[in-house]
Parts: sequence; structure tokens; C-alpha cells
Amino acid sequence: MTIDAGESHLRRVSHWKLYFVLLTGVLVLVFIFSLTIGFSHIPFDNILKILAKNVPILGDMIETPGTEEFVRQESIIIDIRMPRVVGGALVGVALAAAGVAYQGIFRNPMADPYTIGAMGGASFGAAVAIVLGVGVALLGVNTVPIFAFVGALGAVFLVYAISREGSRVPVTTLLLSGLTVTIFFNALVTYLKLIAGDKLHALTFWIMGGFTYTNWTDVTSIFPFIIIGTAVIYLYARDLNILVLGEEQAQHLGVELEKVKKILLASGALMTAAAVSISGLIGFVGLIIPHLTRILIGPDHRILLPTSAIMGASFMMICDALARVIIAPSELPVGVITAVSGGPFFIYLLRRKRGGYTVR
Amino acid sequence: MDKTLTYVVAILAIIALVVASYGFVAFQGQVADLESSNTNLENSISDIQGTLTDIQEQIGEYQSNITALEEELSQYKEITLMDDMGNVVVLTAPPERIVSLAPSNTEILFAVGAGDKVVGVTDVCDYPYDFAAWVEAGNMSSIGNYWQPAVEPIIALDPDLVFASTASEEAAETLRSLGYNVLIVEPKTINGVLESILLIGRATGNPVEAGELVSELRQRIDTVVNTASQADSTPKVYHEVWGPDIQSAGPGTFIDELITLAGGENIFHDAISSFPIVSSETVIEKNPDVIIFPHMYMGTTSWGTYEDIANRPGWNTITAIQNDNFHIIDASIISRSGPRLADALEILAEMIHPELFG
Repeated sequence: MTIDAGESHLRRVSHWKLYFVLLTGVLVLVFIFSLTIGFSHIPFDNILKILAKNVPILGDMIETPGTEEFVRQESIIIDIRMPRVVGGALVGVALAAAGVAYQGIFRNPMADPYTIGAMGGASFGAAVAIVLGVGVALLGVNTVPIFAFVGALGAVFLVYAISREGSRVPVTTLLLSGLTVTIFFNALVTYLKLIAGDKLHALTFWIMGGFTYTNWTDVTSIFPFIIIGTAVIYLYARDLNILVLGEEQAQHLGVELEKVKKILLASGALMTAAAVSISGLIGFVGLIIPHLTRILIGPDHRILLPTSAIMGASFMMICDALARVIIAPSELPVGVITAVSGGPFFIYLLRRKRGGYTVR
Repeated sequence: MDKTLTYVVAILAIIALVVASYGFVAFQGQVADLESSNTNLENSISDIQGTLTDIQEQIGEYQSNITALEEELSQYKEITLMDDMGNVVVLTAPPERIVSLAPSNTEILFAVGAGDKVVGVTDVCDYPYDFAAWVEAGNMSSIGNYWQPAVEPIIALDPDLVFASTASEEAAETLRSLGYNVLIVEPKTINGVLESILLIGRATGNPVEAGELVSELRQRIDTVVNTASQADSTPKVYHEVWGPDIQSAGPGTFIDELITLAGGENIFHDAISSFPIVSSETVIEKNPDVIIFPHMYMGTTSWGTYEDIANRPGWNTITAIQNDNFHIIDASIISRSGPRLADALEILAEMIHPELFG
């Protein structure tokens, strides 16, 4: 390694830190901003008081008005807005991180949780749980996430098995079979809609996607899966960097290709299922956030993954805040906002600056 | 000397007499003044006493009012209610702030006389009043859509009782977890609707009005059913719910039940689902005697004029089309689980058996 290369590496690492700190700051601002957005107007200083009151030690030192109005405001912030904001952020993290992993494995800009079959499988699993009403049947445990995960994992490995040729999985075949399996599962969901009877509305609205009813139980139930999934993908960030050079190159450089692929596919499926189980189908985030981040920050997966996750969280929180107010008191499905707002912005960035898919 | 002294004394005496008499007169005047002011005081005291009695009387009146109200309240006691999903709600006082999450609930609430307690309705509530105009004028709040409404606008109204439907089941669940009283009203049959009216009447402290309404509706329904039973024929009825990819009403719907009660036979009574998507061919094959179309409640024309329907390929062979036996009915009265289902039944009976109900 020459001295020049070493210097440029150092410069890059310090850039990474800057980006990371900057984006985290944006994330915090977006979080607080989106708590202020909603049907009821709640004064900003009340929101800060409510937030401070619910911090363990700090809370005892805060004086709050015990009025009925304040209690209702606290309920709206803590029980209604906060879980959906946090849930939205987690779903943003999950979809963006899964998108990074899939695009990395397949070296293909089209890969994301939707095109690879995970979302189709997850939605079929969840639809089965909703239509058959098994959610209540099993000891009152919410089985929708479990069914969604089984569906996602099943779909991803079905895709993997179909496209496998000997010990190799060619990318084109994989993408094509991913699309085929997605269409297949979508057809099954359509059939379920037809026989859903009075569950049809629940199913239809679940598929539209959104955080209208996200509660703390939803948030805590998906939290571990999304953290574990993201951590696992981060552990393989270097392998993903090498994979970008091509499968043969990667194999020469000692990457256990098939094993890494399987682990990353499963992690992506796990996170997609966790996300889908609380939010329904939200397209576009897994596709555009990794691209957007790559254009802004570069293709190295060690920085691309965490920054994509942060960007995904911020983007999702903003979209959900918009979904709440555009046609208030009614709400828009958040998937409509992600597609309508994300699409044109993404095209603009794409035209302005073309990012490569190789490590600089 | 003596004389002089006598004069002096006499003059002094006169002076003294004059002074004394003047003083006496002045004193007399003062006494009179004092006496009159005393009378004034006495008058005002009696005035005040009068007012005091008035006030005491009024207090007594208020107290008896309070006792009467307390008695009324104690008669309310606790009311335990169970909704169509089996959720139990216990009310300790009559609700003062009611939110309705379905147009059918709004219709029932106003029909049983609880309308003045309703503080929030949905965007699609349009009967018995034009609630959109009320919302515009600031006399009513809208909580947004009927399907899957958001929770925050409901909480903002601080309701003490919420009437939901299965379309707002998730919102109901969230509200219940936050400690709000929620009843899900989702009757499946006409009898179920009558029971819902009684439930809503009991919940809002209007059980008498609800009871009267139900007996009136039951009487009207019985009249139609009894008259229809005298019919010699059972005309085959086709009810198109949606088009142009045509959807009809099958078992388990109000439409199916109403057609049967009105002395008709729903040609999709045995369909596999409640709102089956059917083929044009099946309708021709089943050859209905009567065709009924909904007129959408928002006042928009539906998916076709009479000519469009009659000119569908092959439909000219259908008896109903050949005899011009084609009717239009308000979609909201025939599909909402409210008191107007009795209207729908009477209208349908006229369409199906004009010879009996004309």
C-alpha cells in the first residue's frame, strides 16, 4: 500500500464519521419533529415536558401541569404517536438494511425485499393469519409476525432453490424467479381476499400498509429481530464489498460464497417479515434508500449499511408524519407517500449524479 | 337700683326664655328628623327580610331539584352492556360525549333521541342530517374515514362512549387499551338491528324511546311479511351491488334477507360468499323477474343507465328486462344496519309484489 492510498483511506474514514454524526443528528431532529405532527395541536414545550417526564431520573425533577388536557396530550404523545414513530423508524431500518444486503448479494440495482420474493411471501403468510383468524386462536398470541416470517423465509428459499444451478446461484435466474414467486404469492393473496368475507377490509387495509394502529407491543416484538438482522448484515459488510467485484473474484479471495448468501438471504427475510408484520406492504423504501445513500456516501458496505439504516428510519418517519396530516382527520396509506415522494426525488438524484456500484 | 336689677333680671329672663324656646323648637325638629330616619331604617330592614325570605325559598327549590336529580341518577345506577363482539362495558353515568364510528350507529343514536350527546361522526355519516355541513359550520366534529379511522382525532374529542363497527375494530381495540368505553355494533340480521337499537338506547339512557322505535319497526316489518305471505308467486330477484364487473348480494346480507321477507327469491341466495362476483351468463341463466339497482348515496350516478343494463349482451332475453321490471333503490337504506331497513323492506315489497303493495 502506498502512502497516498493510506492517506486517502484515513480521509475517507474521517468523512464517514462526519456523515454518521450528521445523519444521526438529522435522525434525532426528524424524530422530535414527527412527534409534533398530528391531528391535535400540542404545544412544543408540552411535548418536551412529556418526553422529559418519561425519562426515569429526569422525570422526577420535571413539574408538569396535572390538568386533564395535559394528561390527554401525554396519552396522545406516549401511547399513540410515539409507538408509530418508533415503529416507523424500525421498519425503515429493516427495509433499508435488507435492501442493502440484497443489492449487495445480487450486485443488482433492482434487488430489494419486494423483487426478491420476501415481501410477497411475508404478505401471504400474514394474510393467511388474518383471514383464518389464527391470531387469536393460539393463546391470544399475535401470530401474524410468525406467519409472515415463515412466509418470507419460505419464499426466499423457494426462490433460492428454484434458481440454484449446482452449487451456484446465477443472479439473473434468481431475480427472475424472485419476481415469479412474488407474482405467485400475490395471486394467492388475491384469492384469500376473495374468500376473506368480513376479514376483507382488515386484509385490504393491512396490505395498503401503514402505522395507524402501531402500539408498543408491536414495537417491542419486532425490535430484537431488526437489531439482530442489521447486526448480522453488518458482520458481512466486508464480504459484501468483495462480492461487488464478482462472485469468482470473491471466491478467489476466500469468501464462502454460498454460506454468506444463505445467511444474508435469511437475515433479509427475517427483517422484511418483522417490518411487514407491523406495517403491511410498504414498497420503494428498500429499493431507493440504499441507492440514495450510495449516491451520497459511496458504495462501501461498512458505511453504506449504517447510513442507509439511519436514512431509512428518517425517511419513513417523515412519510408517516405526512400520511397523518395530508387528509386529516383521515390518514393516507404510508406506501402512497413513500412512492409518490420518494420516486421523483430519486429520479432527480439519479439524473444529477451517477453513482457506481464498485468500491472507490 | 332695685328697679334696675329687676329690669336686668327681667331682660335676662326674657332672653333666656327666647333662647330656651328657640332651643326647644330646634330640639323638636331634630326629634322629628330622627323619627323619620328611624322609620326609613325600619322599612329597609323589612325590605331586606323580604328578600331574605325570597332567597331562602329559592334555596329550598334548588335543594328539592338536587334531590330529584340525585334520585334520577341513583336510578341510572350501573349499566352493564355487551356488544356484538362480546366486549363488556360498564357505565356508571349516562354518557355525555358520544362518538359514532359508523353511519348506521349515527342513524340509531339520533333515532333513539341521543343525538344531542353525539360530538363526533365519520365522513360518510349523512343521515338524519347533513353532517358534512354541520362539520363545516363547526357544530359537529368529524373523526375522518369510516374504514380504519385514526385514533388521535377520536381521543381529541374526549369521548365517554364510542360506538364502533367491525370496520373500526382496530381503532376500537386501541381505544379500549387506553381506557375508553367502546361498543362494537355490527348486527348481521334484521332482528340483530332491532337488538342494536335497544342496546344503544340502553347505553345512552334512552331505553323507552328505543323500545318504542323497535316496536314500531317490528310492526311495520310484520305487516309487510304478513301481506307478502298471501302472494301466489315468489318472483326471482336480481340485486346488483356493484358493476360493471357485476357483484351481487348473497347469503348473510341484509339485501338477501330483505328480498326473502318481501316475498321474493334472491337468485344468488346460495352463492359461496356474501358479495359474490358473478358472470353475466349466470344472471341470464337464472332469468330474474325483477332487477334492482342501487342508487349510490352520494348522489352520483352508478355504473350504467337503464339502457346500458338492458343492452348488455344477451340480457334482452331476461324476463325482468322484457317486462321493464327494473327498479332503483337508495344503496344506503338497503345496506346500513339502521332503522331505515324497514323503509327498504317496504320499498322492496312494492317492487316485488306491486299487486299486493301498490
